[in-house]
Amino acid sequence: MSIPVMRRLSLALGLALGCAMAQAQNWPAQQWSQAPVTQSAALATLEAYAFPKRDDASRTGVRTDALLVIRDGQVIYERYAGPTTAETPHLTWSISKSLLATTLGVAYGQGRFRLDAPVAQYYPAFAAHPAVKVGHLLNWASGLDWQEDYEYAPLQSSVVAMLYTRGRSDMAAFTADHAAAAEPGARFRYSSGDSNVLSAALKGMVGAAAYPSYPWSALFEPLGITSAVWETDASGTFVGSSYAYMTARDLARVGLLMQRDGRWGERQLLPQAWVEFNRTAFANYLPQAGKPGDAVPGGHWWLNVAVAGQAKPWADAPVDTFAALGHWGQALYVLPSEKLVVVRYADDRDGSYQHNQLLKLVHAAFAAQVQP
Amino acid sequence: MIRRRPFTSLALLGMLVLVALAWQNRSHLQAFPGIIGAYSAKEYCSCRYVTNNPAEYCTAYVEQYLPLSGFFDDPAHKRVTARGLGSSQTAQWLSPRQGCQLLPQAEPLPAS
Repeated sequence: MSIPVMRRLSLALGLALGCAMAQAQNWPAQQWSQAPVTQSAALATLEAYAFPKRDDASRTGVRTDALLVIRDGQVIYERYAGPTTAETPHLTWSISKSLLATTLGVAYGQGRFRLDAPVAQYYPAFAAHPAVKVGHLLNWASGLDWQEDYEYAPLQSSVVAMLYTRGRSDMAAFTADHAAAAEPGARFRYSSGDSNVLSAALKGMVGAAAYPSYPWSALFEPLGITSAVWETDASGTFVGSSYAYMTARDLARVGLLMQRDGRWGERQLLPQAWVEFNRTAFANYLPQAGKPGDAVPGGHWWLNVAVAGQAKPWADAPVDTFAALGHWGQALYVLPSEKLVVVRYADDRDGSYQHNQLLKLVHAAFAAQVQP
Repeated sequence: MIRRRPFTSLALLGMLVLVALAWQNRSHLQAFPGIIGAYSAKEYCSCRYVTNNPAEYCTAYVEQYLPLSGFFDDPAHKRVTARGLGSSQTAQWLSPRQGCQLLPQAEPLPAS
């Protein structure tokens, strides 16, 4: 047999093997395949925690809008409450930040930017901060003098001013106007401004013409996500910090992509090194005293790792758990070691909801079950 | 002066501190009245026209401690105007992908 024929044969064999391996895994097509679990005492306990009697007058307590659990690519549990249904494109709030990071991951795989390049290279309005690199923003470590808190300091809250008043027409430019308070990369300070500067930088990375549809062409369409809405500011920049919307079932697709290290079917949509960066704790992060449940910042995703001599933040969840988290209880949890993806949408107006408690009950209800 | 008018002096000093604080926070103070109207208009618009929740639900969803002094939802144009602390703000639904956005200029509220 001649060498070209051999090569073609081995290529075909390799392809067939690749297909067989992808076939052996469940991937959602237009719809997710369903493998609902049967009722159990553990599931009843989970439901009692996540869906207590809803008090819409006082808006107190745990107020889950949606709870969706995927195991190894199949829906095993799904329930909705309040006005939310399987068709509702729910507001994700700060889950948007991790969606932006995942969109950036596709651009990273296309060689559109480098993590150690100055942000100003892609977003010239950031010229006043030449030492801030793209990687710093992804770790929320720009060093800018940003005030995220809005419950206790509404007057000086940078995020309220950015979303609703002085910053709303151009949120990245509003952020760029902040002074530096620390060396870039020296300290973690959660900042919606950092995320919106990343969103503006994406425009420079992929070009102004491709930008308005880039999240769809790069990420949503390859994953089969059809319900996504992503609001922009008046300058046309996606509000990467706060304003992406999609159904729970669509958000779970992003979770499955992350659970499987950036691979979707036969396509490596995100470089594995990118997902690794997302899941690496920011080196200079110091857990805040008195807030042991705070997740650890990675590359625009949240981690359950033990750092700086502290215990892992969510004691009852596996150490490889990572998450995208948003205001009022929005969460996308990924548990690779248990092949679980959990979407929780909510309207929690007080602090009664605890990530660890939900993950503990999810583990009890779903992780230990032997698959048929 | 201080010994003769201790209370007046103290009041003057207090005033000076307040003025200094106000000056230091002038940009924050100037923007502050817009928050309630802008928050209500924007989040109601998205709740109603992006998330497709019922109007009644969205009214309760955006409710704050400070009440609104005016509110108008124009379903024909998917345009929402809210007034609080003397400041009117309008949010406009733009497209299925872009959702809602605050407008630079508020629409006038209809006379009621």
